[in-house]
Amino acid sequence: MGILDLFSSLPLFSRRGGPISRRFGGAARASAEEDLFDDEFQRKLETLAVVSKRVFSGAMRAERRTRKTGSGVEFADHRDYVPGDDFRYLDWHVWQRMGRLLIRLYEEEEDLSIYLIVDQSASMGFGDGEKLRHAKRLTAALAYVGLANLDRVTIVSANDAIEGRMPETRGKSRIFRVFRFLKDLRPGGETDLETALRTFAAQHKRRGLAVLVSDLYDHKGFEKGINALRFAKFEPFVLHVVDEKDRRPELRGDVRVYDCETGDEREVTVTPRLLEKYEKAYDDWLASVARFCASKQVDYFRADVNIPFDELILRVFRKGGFLR
Amino acid sequence: MTFAGLPLATLLGAFAAFGAAVTLLYILKLKRRPVAVPFSRIWERILRDKEATSLFSQLKRLLSLLLQLALIALVIGALGDPRTAANLVEGRNLVVLVDASASMQATDVAPSRLEAGKKRILELARGLGGSDRMLIAQMDAGTTPLSTLTGDVAELEAAITKVEPTEARADFARGLRFASDALRGLGKPEIVVVSDGVLGEAKDQFGPVDLGGAKLSFVPLGERGNNAAISSFSVRRYPLDKSRYEVMLEIVNAGADPIDVELSLWGDGQVTDVQRLRLGANERLPRFYPNLSGASKTLEARLALADGGRDDLPADDRAYALLPERRRAKVQVVTPGNMYLEAALLLDEYLEVTTVSPTKYPAEGRFDVTIFDAVAPKVAEGSGSLLYLGPTGGDLPFELEKPVKDDDPEVPLGFDDIDEKHPLVRWANLVDVNVALAQPIRPGKDDRVVGKSFKGPLLVEGRRDGRKFVALGFDVRSSDLPLRIAWPLFLLGAIDLFVEEDTSYISSFPTGEVWRIPAPSGATSATLSVPSGAKVPIPVDEGRAVYLGRRSGFYELEAGPEGNRVVSGFAANLVDAAESDVEPVKELKVGEVMAGEVGGFTVGVRREVWGYLIALVVALSAIEWLLYHRRVTV
Repeated sequence: MGILDLFSSLPLFSRRGGPISRRFGGAARASAEEDLFDDEFQRKLETLAVVSKRVFSGAMRAERRTRKTGSGVEFADHRDYVPGDDFRYLDWHVWQRMGRLLIRLYEEEEDLSIYLIVDQSASMGFGDGEKLRHAKRLTAALAYVGLANLDRVTIVSANDAIEGRMPETRGKSRIFRVFRFLKDLRPGGETDLETALRTFAAQHKRRGLAVLVSDLYDHKGFEKGINALRFAKFEPFVLHVVDEKDRRPELRGDVRVYDCETGDEREVTVTPRLLEKYEKAYDDWLASVARFCASKQVDYFRADVNIPFDELILRVFRKGGFLR
Repeated sequence: MTFAGLPLATLLGAFAAFGAAVTLLYILKLKRRPVAVPFSRIWERILRDKEATSLFSQLKRLLSLLLQLALIALVIGALGDPRTAANLVEGRNLVVLVDASASMQATDVAPSRLEAGKKRILELARGLGGSDRMLIAQMDAGTTPLSTLTGDVAELEAAITKVEPTEARADFARGLRFASDALRGLGKPEIVVVSDGVLGEAKDQFGPVDLGGAKLSFVPLGERGNNAAISSFSVRRYPLDKSRYEVMLEIVNAGADPIDVELSLWGDGQVTDVQRLRLGANERLPRFYPNLSGASKTLEARLALADGGRDDLPADDRAYALLPERRRAKVQVVTPGNMYLEAALLLDEYLEVTTVSPTKYPAEGRFDVTIFDAVAPKVAEGSGSLLYLGPTGGDLPFELEKPVKDDDPEVPLGFDDIDEKHPLVRWANLVDVNVALAQPIRPGKDDRVVGKSFKGPLLVEGRRDGRKFVALGFDVRSSDLPLRIAWPLFLLGAIDLFVEEDTSYISSFPTGEVWRIPAPSGATSATLSVPSGAKVPIPVDEGRAVYLGRRSGFYELEAGPEGNRVVSGFAANLVDAAESDVEPVKELKVGEVMAGEVGGFTVGVRREVWGYLIALVVALSAIEWLLYHRRVTV
């Protein structure tokens, strides 16, 4: 039984009008935000969850291992005994052979923490706001997959600070909290990934997978933000939201371009030749992002707004990194 | 280079004003449209490279401003009408007199001399110099300017198309006077006469024409002059038998070779007479057709070559005449008995005579004319016009002098002074009439004395209260007038005068003259239907409609008060032997001035720089438009 079937069986969530619209949006509203997580979306989420289980079953048992050593069953390492350690974990064979007191360390199995960091800066809402909508859908999909795999899922929104936070939760029935949180996100503010992610790292002691869903339009450099996650022992996963409209702006003639976040202005006479140059510069910048992530062994995935989110999620699965 | 249009100071002022405006707009244009972008760092990256070429970019912008200023300079320069030194030579002022007389319809030059002339004028107009100006005028019986004095070829071409042939003689003196007046005070005046040279002497009632120093040029047209023509055509009814008429015509051979012609006479569209005649070189042949009958309205004479061909000028091969329309007049005779009067009235079968004795006056009915024979009762309603013969009594519309007798053997009593042009006596000779006893008439202020003796007026015509009258101051039985042929002529002339049936009816008017067509009394304007079918309003002056006739054919005049319009017809003819002599003249001489050939007209010599400047503006604008929209210059 899928999530929809589960809720549609209840009187409160009858199929008429859709469960989500009734619960979160109100019956009369039909804006783009209301349609963001519609019935069709939810059906696809369920499909993605099933696919994720089928692909990774047997290999992972739907749980993940941390690098944390503890009371697991699989030997990981030794360390010297210190007073206060549990005697049950002393390796007596080593004491007999070598006369040293060493404690056996086992890999501790625990459910993974997944942090979904959504960029809600003004650039994400630029133009028709499709990048932010796409980011919300991707985030919701990943959150659902995580929840379905019994992981702990936390969502935060950031621009130059941590603007919002959905506390850690687990179990796929909590997907509606995710929807509600994402729906309330509005674009605004400048992008400062370094400041925001440093704050994020300080606020979240439990390390885990940190999925950054952003367009990476950071004037101070997206690298600093990613490094802030790396240095804080998080496992960064960059989901780079890109829009073809950003690559091919519809500009002609003499214009004064200004940055939608910083307001920085430049006078420019847009010609076809200049647009070609811009396109090349944009591609170079995208390549530099990918190159940086590869060099730092950070999982990177480019999410084009023109590709349906479910297809993108499947590509993410295939690429690996998100589900181990 | 000199500016023939706006003065230089004005041009500079205009350029300064418009240049400042363009510069201001240019500066305003530099305020660019703000456009938001999601990430300006990428733009900065490419603009850093682009700044290396900013000098070229600024240069392009400066070029744009310079181009706009150049366009303004060109337009303002065009307004100044700049002229090169070659074009600064003072232009000629030309008046082209296009002969549109009948002889220009000669077809010896296909399609006609006039059309060939128009083609030649077109060449002249298109070959005008940059400073030359031309006026085109049609010269026929009058002179009609068809354009202004202009260098605009389009206007001149339009004027040329307005030239129309006429069937009248050209008034050369009038045309030359018009041209010299138009050119008075202008530099380099020149009169160009486009004609076959059949113009006659340039002389009118004011004497020979003075060209006022204008150069005279001549464009000769025509090749030969083989032409036969009807040079005279006239018809009249017999006064005493208006059902019959006589025709007089004259044909002429204007060519140098004898020709055989066929002359036909048509009455009401039916052939009345056909004759074959041979005309010697330059021979005039009068023909007289007496005592004709049959036609009641129209007469037409046609001349054709006996071999079926056509001569060079068909326009004079036809002549038209309209017989005066006849209507039955109602006459009331109030007389105690007058055999002479009653006998005379019997001569005209178109009279409806009612005789009544004075005591039974008035007779029943309405009459056109009432004749009072030696009586003068009070005039009753419906009596029409009045003829008093030997008036006596107290109800006369005029006063009488004392009776006079023929008692001086040296000076017999009769008509000593007669207004022979008066219609009453045009056909009646009253000079020798002897009168035994008369009572002279004292005419009123506006009355007209037609005949008088040394003892006073004896024949008076006048009008009282809108009613015409004629008074004869003696009883015809006291004279020998009834014994004379003049008696019935006088009597019928008087009746015709009253019913406005003019016995002196002109059967046709000659073209090229101002016609004074009899119109009904009281009319102030009339409508003339010309042979082409058009209706022309014309003025009526003193009972005559006035019109300068240029075309031959049948005309209809409609005049009179609304609801009582009277329609009368008449004919017009080109009967002009001189005009029919279409032998072209190769040289034209006005006084002592011999006309020269036209010169200085070469197609394509017009050099008006302003036109090129405007063309350059258009070309530059088009190039700029093209480059802008192809994003070459932005």
